[in-house]
Amino acid sequence: MSCTVRIASPLHSYTAGAAAVESPGASLAEVLGDLERRFPGIRFRIIDEQERIRPHIKLFVNTDEARDLTARVHGGDTVHVICALSGG
Amino acid sequence: MTLTAGERARYQRHLALPEIGAAGQEKLKAARVLVVGAGGLGSPAALYLAAAGCGTLGLLDCDRVELSNLQRQVLFDSAKIGRPKAEAGGERLASLNPEIRVVAHALELKAANVCAVLADYDLVLDGSDRLSTRYLVNDACVIMQRPLVSAAIHRFEGQVMTYVPGRGPCYRCLFPEAADGVVANCAEAGVLGVLPGVLGTLQATEAIKLITGVGTPLLGRFLTYDALELSFREFRVQRRRDCAVCGETPMITEPRDQKASPPTAEPGVRRLTPQALATLLGPGAAAPPPLIDVRERWEFDTGHLPGAVNIPTSELPRRLGEIPRSGGPVFICRSGGRSLRACTMALEAGVASAANLEGGMLAWAAQIDPQMPVA
Repeated sequence: MSCTVRIASPLHSYTAGAAAVESPGASLAEVLGDLERRFPGIRFRIIDEQERIRPHIKLFVNTDEARDLTARVHGGDTVHVICALSGG
Repeated sequence: MTLTAGERARYQRHLALPEIGAAGQEKLKAARVLVVGAGGLGSPAALYLAAAGCGTLGLLDCDRVELSNLQRQVLFDSAKIGRPKAEAGGERLASLNPEIRVVAHALELKAANVCAVLADYDLVLDGSDRLSTRYLVNDACVIMQRPLVSAAIHRFEGQVMTYVPGRGPCYRCLFPEAADGVVANCAEAGVLGVLPGVLGTLQATEAIKLITGVGTPLLGRFLTYDALELSFREFRVQRRRDCAVCGETPMITEPRDQKASPPTAEPGVRRLTPQALATLLGPGAAAPPPLIDVRERWEFDTGHLPGAVNIPTSELPRRLGEIPRSGGPVFICRSGGRSLRACTMALEAGVASAANLEGGMLAWAAQIDPQMPVA
């Protein structure tokens, strides 16, 4: 069972325009590793050099926020990668 | 604050709602609301709050109306092009509802003035177009104990959340920090014109609910909207104990300005003025450097330097291999911010010497080629 990863629109250029992709990862760390293999460069836009979620990025597993990459992800879950937006 | 006969007639449809009624309408009449940013979000928010009878309505914006605003900023019409937004918008609001008091703030919100401006209001709506302003407004609202309804848009997506002092997370709890330029704004990325209509109207809805005390506000609930899917999603957000402004040991105890503009220097990046680049590209130059224009395609197509290769910043990580490793490539964008970040990425990828065109194409047009169109 895989999870669905919904990607913030500012990162769609990495996923060839796809707003959602499937991933077999069982944790956020695995999901992001899988994304990086398929869409090189995307992980660095989400995670900084200290392995922390960038402060303008928010990760949710279903409706709950994740503050680090250890959060578990189950089949059928949806991981949301959300980016602070600036437009008004 | 009792209603006049004229007000009773004007707000009859509100009075007919038991949840609002005369008591709620009187609360609206007594309310003092500030709308920060008279743009895509501020337009519908301010129009609906004026129509709803919000007694004092402040409209803050330092820009003037431009033709490209009219695709979504419904507060203005073509006759207002060139006018200060706060003044032109204020006139429209006063015309819509002469019963209310409209205050135009044609100024840029800064740490030095934000407290003085907010002091006259009970509730703030943020629809600004800069992250630095968003943090300034959030921090001031936390410090001054003012409720805040914050919304933002990008292409086909929007976000909105309500903050009430002591009752939930603030904007910094959600996104602890972000510098201007980390996400493209509407001018760079584009925006569906009707999108801010949805989000700005949600902001006005939240404001009316907070003022009248009806319903359940978006406290600790982060709402996103996707116009392409026509879907709303809601996420639970907790207050952060380590939040820099509303946490247990706040580091921010008074409003402060973020860096107003993108940094102009990064280690290892050569700084190139428009004049210096013009010399490198001039007729006597031996080997002109490769030019990498990192703006979006539509910006590039509006006008670019001859020979420049377009690699938008969003595509740069996977197209780094296209950048010549030698020859001192020059990175170019609109104002020099995106290109500076591109230089850093290129250096990290092994490019020997990357240069940044300081001030970008705007500076080039101002100093070298006034005929150069810049989007």
